[in-house]
Amino acid sequence: MARTRFPADRGLTVRMLTTVFLLGLLYALFVTVLFLVGLKLVFVLVIAFVLLFVQYFYSDRIALYSMGGKIVTREQAPQLHGVVDRLCAMADMPKPQVAIANIDMPNAFATGRDKKHAVVCVTSGILRRLDEPELEAVLAHELSHVAHRDVAVMTIASFLGILAGLLTRVLAYAGLFGGFGGNNRNQSSGGGGGQLAMVELGMLAFSALVYAISFLLIRTLSRYRELAADRSGAILIGQPRLLAQALVKVTGEMSRVPTRDLRAAEHFNAFFFAPAFAKGVSLSSLFSTHPTLERRLQQLTELEAQMGRAA
Amino acid sequence: MKLFDVLLGRTKPVQPNLDHLFGLPGAEITLEASAGLRPTGQAGVCFKPATGQQFADTTSEVEQLLDLGDGAKIHEESDSYGYRWVVLADADFGDLINQVHVVNTTLQDHGWGPQLLCSVFGFEPIPGGAADATAATGAQKVAGTYLVYLYKRGTFYPFVPLPAHEKRDSDQERLLKVTLATDLAMEPDLERWFPLWGLPVH
Repeated sequence: MARTRFPADRGLTVRMLTTVFLLGLLYALFVTVLFLVGLKLVFVLVIAFVLLFVQYFYSDRIALYSMGGKIVTREQAPQLHGVVDRLCAMADMPKPQVAIANIDMPNAFATGRDKKHAVVCVTSGILRRLDEPELEAVLAHELSHVAHRDVAVMTIASFLGILAGLLTRVLAYAGLFGGFGGNNRNQSSGGGGGQLAMVELGMLAFSALVYAISFLLIRTLSRYRELAADRSGAILIGQPRLLAQALVKVTGEMSRVPTRDLRAAEHFNAFFFAPAFAKGVSLSSLFSTHPTLERRLQQLTELEAQMGRAA
Repeated sequence: MKLFDVLLGRTKPVQPNLDHLFGLPGAEITLEASAGLRPTGQAGVCFKPATGQQFADTTSEVEQLLDLGDGAKIHEESDSYGYRWVVLADADFGDLINQVHVVNTTLQDHGWGPQLLCSVFGFEPIPGGAADATAATGAQKVAGTYLVYLYKRGTFYPFVPLPAHEKRDSDQERLLKVTLATDLAMEPDLERWFPLWGLPVH
């Protein structure tokens, strides 16, 4: 029996499972309440499903289009293809399509619902800034996203958020224009109209709440999946240090490039540096889709130490 | 991948499949008989070096083990993609395969199996044979003929680079795939037949 050097990260597993469970619980609760209230949901549900469908099946094209990524052939980018070829052979996975986005911001992303429809895209900014081994580390991280089917998982997970968000908007819109309870709906029973208004207001508040909670849970899940991709990517190339280097380089560059006029940014500072409302948990880390750089570097350092230890 | 692994974002490092390498002696006979090719006596094992003292210890153990074998000449080099090659030379094809196997099993025994990428075996035209470009057989002048073994897939594919810059003889590769189909597990997915330009193996 072949030995493996890396046991599964149990802590990460438990945290991710808890998040998925909570999301599922919230989903069940939401649907149950909607069912009990008996709102005419078919319309909202259909829209939500269409959105999910589009997101699920066209995620590769949507993401590529929004980032301005272009699929490149082996002749156009032999080196990039060579790196991806080798990583895929190491990880035993089908090769995704390779794309380059002509953006100076150093970044990379993977998209596509499964391994057969996957696209890995890098920006020209990251190609310029990272050296070959660091780029390989970034690609290993992105290929891990593909292997973990993160696009499919996150799309399905965010379905609830879309549904709740949509319902919030529909109800608010209806309330704004039709007036709650709909005065044209039932003239004969004034009391009934009032009751209906209460129910709809309650639904609006509930939907908004569900939306907020699902938003936080999805962000949490996303952060765990980033950590999981870091972990798998670092193990794949056998050199966690390279991924750490690439992360530091990319993050450093990102914060150094001023994106807007500094005078205009002053107003936003108050929001960005929100005071911590719980010990060690700041608002920005709660809303973030990615774990903090420190958290990611810490995991990679631990892996690096694990490599040196006797198996 | 299992649903649970997808849900948890987990991948297990892929262990190499070492069994199919022993189909090579049969392939040698087939290549000689029907393609006019014979082994050059060189092979290379390609792996991704990992960080840390443990991996360094393992590679020096590989070197020591290979030094004990008589007739084997080895040298190591790194390629432009950051992979390391152990290049072996042995006039006897059976011994050469065994040498390759020593590298494989030593890495695997120490838990570094997932670092293995591929191994490559060199072939050359038999003078006057079907693959000899100097003989009047219509064969194209190639820069080498190789059989690449993909450890994680347990499959082989032929790689026939041409003397021109980064060009390969796809027709000859397809022909070799068909020729060897009964002897070796050939990789069916052509997307995985990635080119290995600048091979240290001859």
